[in-house]
Amino acid sequence: MASKVTVIGTGNFGSTVAFILAMRGSCHEVVLRGRNINVAKGKALDMSQAANAAREHTIVRAAEGPEDMAGSEIVVITAGAPRTPGMNREDLLLKNAKIVKSYSLEIKEHAPNAIVIVVSNPLDVMTYVAYKYTGFPRARILGMAGILDAARMAHFIYEKLGYGAGQIRATVMGGHGDTMVPLPKFTTVAGVPIEDLFDSEEIGEIVRKTKNGGAQIVDLLGDGSAYYAPAKSTAVMVDAILKDTKQIHSCAVYLEGEYGYSDIVSGVPAMIGAKGVEQIIQMTLKTLQIARFKNSVASVQEMVDSLHESGFFDDCEKTNDK
Amino acid sequence: MTNRKVGIVGAGAVGATAAYTLSMMGTCREIVLFDIADGVAKGKSIDMAQANYYSSNPTIITAALDASDIKDCDIVVVTAGVPRKGDMTRADLLMINAKIIKQVVTNIKENSPNAIIICVSNPLDVMTYVTKRITGWENNRIIGLAGALDGSRMAYQIQKLTGVNASQAGSLVIGDHGENMIPLPHKISVGDIPLTQLISKDEMEGIIERTKNGGAEIVKHLGTSGYYGPGRAIAHMVEAILNDSKTIISSSVILNGEYGYSDVSVGVPVVLGASGVERIIELDLDEHTKEKFAISVKSIREGIDILEENNFFKSEKE
Repeated sequence: MASKVTVIGTGNFGSTVAFILAMRGSCHEVVLRGRNINVAKGKALDMSQAANAAREHTIVRAAEGPEDMAGSEIVVITAGAPRTPGMNREDLLLKNAKIVKSYSLEIKEHAPNAIVIVVSNPLDVMTYVAYKYTGFPRARILGMAGILDAARMAHFIYEKLGYGAGQIRATVMGGHGDTMVPLPKFTTVAGVPIEDLFDSEEIGEIVRKTKNGGAQIVDLLGDGSAYYAPAKSTAVMVDAILKDTKQIHSCAVYLEGEYGYSDIVSGVPAMIGAKGVEQIIQMTLKTLQIARFKNSVASVQEMVDSLHESGFFDDCEKTNDK
Repeated sequence: MTNRKVGIVGAGAVGATAAYTLSMMGTCREIVLFDIADGVAKGKSIDMAQANYYSSNPTIITAALDASDIKDCDIVVVTAGVPRKGDMTRADLLMINAKIIKQVVTNIKENSPNAIIICVSNPLDVMTYVTKRITGWENNRIIGLAGALDGSRMAYQIQKLTGVNASQAGSLVIGDHGENMIPLPHKISVGDIPLTQLISKDEMEGIIERTKNGGAEIVKHLGTSGYYGPGRAIAHMVEAILNDSKTIISSSVILNGEYGYSDVSVGVPVVLGASGVERIIELDLDEHTKEKFAISVKSIREGIDILEENNFFKSEKE
């Protein structure tokens, strides 16, 4: 079975996702789809040659048109305008919603059995848009958020601790934005609760840094946002699906009653395997966490509502459950 | 740590599997195998060296003709000892293995004076303690394989029960590497969420029981102890030390006041890096677990006491 993954968007993010997949030999074929076909072709050649240096079997090629997505098991949507300094995720909303919509319709037509991983921002809303416009079952629409946020939290824990790298299991729920819900109570280093390692002030600092993790890099880079950790986090999801690992990762998924919410996308722990989201894990949350999650969902809902108000969804075939 | 050389004493199933796993992982530059039985180490080392033809990062594997050939190693893994048979308890092994360890460790002290020793021989905690007493080395250079193995057995039970890939489970099993071990599954995260969110209290108890019984279950079927799990677990510890990865791995180490105990070796979470045990992590244990830990320590002390009564340590002075 030849496995095929299409990556839409040939910017830093999309290119890095494709490169990681090629270096790991995660799939046999990676298709790069970008607006500038020559750039896609150039990068594809460069990566295919790197795969040979790495003695991997992956072939990277550029899509000439949307039909080249055909047969993809996974399509990753990284397309979208990047967040620039001073710009918040919400500013990107309408601009990126239109881009994700057009690619979702392409996927629906050319890769109707694919699992879609959305990474465009604002993440939760874009995942919602992809769900609506592909018309796919919700198991096949995943937003990449929690893995990245957890990785950032783990990094800030490791920075403070100086040991235990790769053994830190951080948990972040809710929206991928200013209202993300890091869960330090569920965060461990090789099973050791971080509460045994840090006092509450230190934990508060880690949580603050995690929430600010993306913005910190945007400020430093001056032009564009982070892509190494986001791309690796995306590759983790691709591997989980292709290898059917059934590992639990926090992902943005369309909720149908879980945690008390419906017709909205938010980050929750989910078991990921060959079918996409195979199970949503319902955790028992404390009152404060419930309130924060509610706050997070509300901020995503606001953006979805503003898209509704602007008539964005008027041509959507998928019946709105609301 | 420049030569990345690992000595393995005992080329039986566990020692050989550890060597093979390490060579397949390309973790070290050189492995030296020694076994008291003539030809075993030589034959297996040639077999492994040939398997390395397919490895992208070949490890040099040789056999030591004499114990003194375990020379200038960064790490020496001690798997020597009589294996546990069907109905044999760990205590039965005590005297016979302590004598073997004494001889092996005396050789290491002489020929690899800067090594870190990973003790694998059973009864594990007592043998680790014996290693400390015989070498007289710093506590951080003496490590017993315990949680790395018991933790993988716990992860296996978790995966069997939940269907969730448990490669992400931690290795939190503390206490002795025997009947009184203390698996702490309720502290473990599977994926990014705590196991307590996935399974019931009864199921948690089941995991604890089956983890404790993990070694015996294999003995029941095989008639002898498992070796794939132990071999891989040893490789995990060697990797952490050689790569200075500062990984948390529950291991049997000599306590010096931690958890309220001293002069005993028992399993606790530790940070393993280039200096061996770089830190002992003190978990905040609840009263119930503290009691279990006390029982565990007591059972190890009983083993040490038997050795003392038989004047095992008499000839060496500290």
